[in-house]
Amino acid sequence: MARLLLKHFTIANWWASEVQLGKSVSALSTPSEYVLVRNISFFNKLPAEDIWRGVTAVSNAGKKRGRGKGTGKKVAKDLNRGQTIGLGKKNFIWPGLNAPIIRGNEITHQQKQFENMDRENSIISLRDSMGNFKLMKLNPIDRGWSGTKMPGRSIGSPDAVGEENFNLFDTRVLENKIVFIMKGNMGRKRRYSVLSVTGNKNGLAGFATAKAPEVRTALRKSRNRSGQKLISIDLYENRTINHDFYTAFGKTKIFVFKKPEGYGLVCHRAIQTICKVIGIQDLYAKIEGSTNLQHIVKAFFIGLMRQKSYNDIANEIKLHVVERQMAKNGFTEIKASPVQDLQISENNRFIDFMQFTLGNKIVLRKKKIPPYYVNSKGHHLFECKAERFRNQSNVRLHKLVNCYM
Amino acid sequence: MLILRQLRKLNAAQRLQLGVDQSRRNLSDASLQYDKDPQPLFTDAETQRLLQSMTQLQLEKVFRKRTVADNSTETKFMTTAQLEKEFVLTIEKAKKLLQMPPVVQIKKDTERIISKDPALKDFDNSKYVFTDISFGLRPSDRKVVVRDVDGTLAYAPLETQKRMNQLYFPLDGRRSYTPRMFSDEQLLQRCLDDHKYEFILDRLTVQYEPYEAEFHNISAKVFTHLNESKQFDLLRSTRHFGPMAFFYAWHRCIDDLLYDMIRRDYPYNAVQLIALSYKIHNVPVEYGKTLSQLEALQPTPAERALEELLSRLKKPSEKGIEQEIQTAIGKTEQDFAADEISLKFIEQYIGSEHALKKVQLELAVQTLKEVNLEKLQLFKGLKKAHGVQAS
Repeated sequence: MARLLLKHFTIANWWASEVQLGKSVSALSTPSEYVLVRNISFFNKLPAEDIWRGVTAVSNAGKKRGRGKGTGKKVAKDLNRGQTIGLGKKNFIWPGLNAPIIRGNEITHQQKQFENMDRENSIISLRDSMGNFKLMKLNPIDRGWSGTKMPGRSIGSPDAVGEENFNLFDTRVLENKIVFIMKGNMGRKRRYSVLSVTGNKNGLAGFATAKAPEVRTALRKSRNRSGQKLISIDLYENRTINHDFYTAFGKTKIFVFKKPEGYGLVCHRAIQTICKVIGIQDLYAKIEGSTNLQHIVKAFFIGLMRQKSYNDIANEIKLHVVERQMAKNGFTEIKASPVQDLQISENNRFIDFMQFTLGNKIVLRKKKIPPYYVNSKGHHLFECKAERFRNQSNVRLHKLVNCYM
Repeated sequence: MLILRQLRKLNAAQRLQLGVDQSRRNLSDASLQYDKDPQPLFTDAETQRLLQSMTQLQLEKVFRKRTVADNSTETKFMTTAQLEKEFVLTIEKAKKLLQMPPVVQIKKDTERIISKDPALKDFDNSKYVFTDISFGLRPSDRKVVVRDVDGTLAYAPLETQKRMNQLYFPLDGRRSYTPRMFSDEQLLQRCLDDHKYEFILDRLTVQYEPYEAEFHNISAKVFTHLNESKQFDLLRSTRHFGPMAFFYAWHRCIDDLLYDMIRRDYPYNAVQLIALSYKIHNVPVEYGKTLSQLEALQPTPAERALEELLSRLKKPSEKGIEQEIQTAIGKTEQDFAADEISLKFIEQYIGSEHALKKVQLELAVQTLKEVNLEKLQLFKGLKKAHGVQAS
């Protein structure tokens, strides 16, 4: 051991002396032996960061052509992380490096300790965790319509304006897309367009689109703008719309139906999101024609705004508006009566309420095409075999409930 | 094979349950039973009228919101004439919904042998049941006969007949086994303690025929429990109020119900209850005159309900000041007159030897009198203030 150390020492010494003498030695050497070396390359001219970028990134021109979409996901690993000077594979005490020279009255000595196997593993696991690009974890509740995409996700309440704050409001993104415009000097310039809807779940809602070069800015702008465009919508029993209605915008036609308690929202996801924000819980909507999202939103809001109260309808038609509830065993309740009675005979005219509210429009009910196998022999056989078990699940359930077996 | 095994298991369970039923019957034998056939008295026109009037017809109660599979609503336009017609139909429907399950005697099972054929002895090791399943027969008319193992052909006992009827023509809501609610004493007690009287009685009516012993036992249990808990209002305006009142009148324990009626300001009903009990027990008290007097003053529940419905058609401007006063106080002049007559009759009853809880009833009558007096004064004062002519 002592010999080995000595050798080390001599080598180190020799090296140092050569460095000192380097100049004189080179000066002394003959010109024929002198080789001209230009040690200049991007390796020692550029910082490490730039070199890495040169390898991993895509040029500006390339980016414009849509190359290297996955770049930026791979980050160079910092191998220094998790390591400290003086601590290594061999667990050794070096006084003055990783331990004090004098501990109490004693001088500490170089000392080998037990090898720490965990260290190596922990460093490796740390590097592994560094290397992979991690998708942001989203709580299932916060998810939008699809994956980590913005549409359907909540982006909080609009910022307060003066003393008006929007604490009870919730904003949801309906559309987030890239749009381009041509500029004189910039050429094709791209921006993000965000359509969002905000509401207090109690009949107050607004929607707005906003564009910005950054997604975040567009979201914020759209959120705040929708807070400035609130519309009051009166709800029936605080859970559904006043009456069925037909509404259209452009080529989008929507038939919206009032539904009883507990029905839920059976409609396009955009309408669903709007309803949730407004506070509508039971509704059925059928879209005919174009499903352009902006048109759906506009058509739906127009329809909501055009709703009439029962009193207005009664006065317009000069008939009583009556509601019959199946849950109350078909009990007839008067919802509204006209201010002045128009004496009309029953045979004179007969107006259907739904026909009136839908504006004489009828929903297109397409006939369902039966599957190809319906008339096949095999399916017929299957139906014959399955027939005797048609009530089995019910019977099983009853047996379980009443446990009389 | 599997089906056979299942069937055997089912039969075993049935037998077990039968044992349970019998033990329960013994337990509840102590409860109140009708000693003679109550049917003639119950179906009597006057009794029915009294019971219907006592039941009342509160529209919110009859047509209250229930949990049903289809809870859709239908919105319509209607003319006033159409609405009036609709209201009449509504009342008809309510009357139908309030139809009382009959109170009849327990039917005894009699063995009716058609023929004895010893030659057929041991033709099989189980009985054969033959059922006439022709369409359109009434369940009671449907012929069900049993060929016993010893060759005897006889009409099926009532239980088998009901079972066969249920098998071929199932009644909605009726189960072919006894629901645990009725077979398990504890479960029934739990229902009773939760005051789910209407639910128990509704299910009882569906599950059992009125002539069955179980029907009598369980309904007696419910009524006795109700008499202790004094939640009579839960059954008011339901189809079970009539049989309940009839039960109390029959078993001479009307005082609690009477007290409840007086306290809730239904003196007319109280008079009817007393009259019913007099009628059942042939007490020599002349009640017919008082009743006819009251009947002239008071509309029947159906008329009252219809009036209420029709009043909804009127606009607020059409209603006169007199009506406004009446709605504010809740009584008309006729009501005050009727109350006076009924209270007199009730006091007579309290004075007689038939009343058991005299002090309590006396107090209730006194309170009602005082409240009525106050209301009458207010009524007259209001009328005077508004310049309405006193009639």
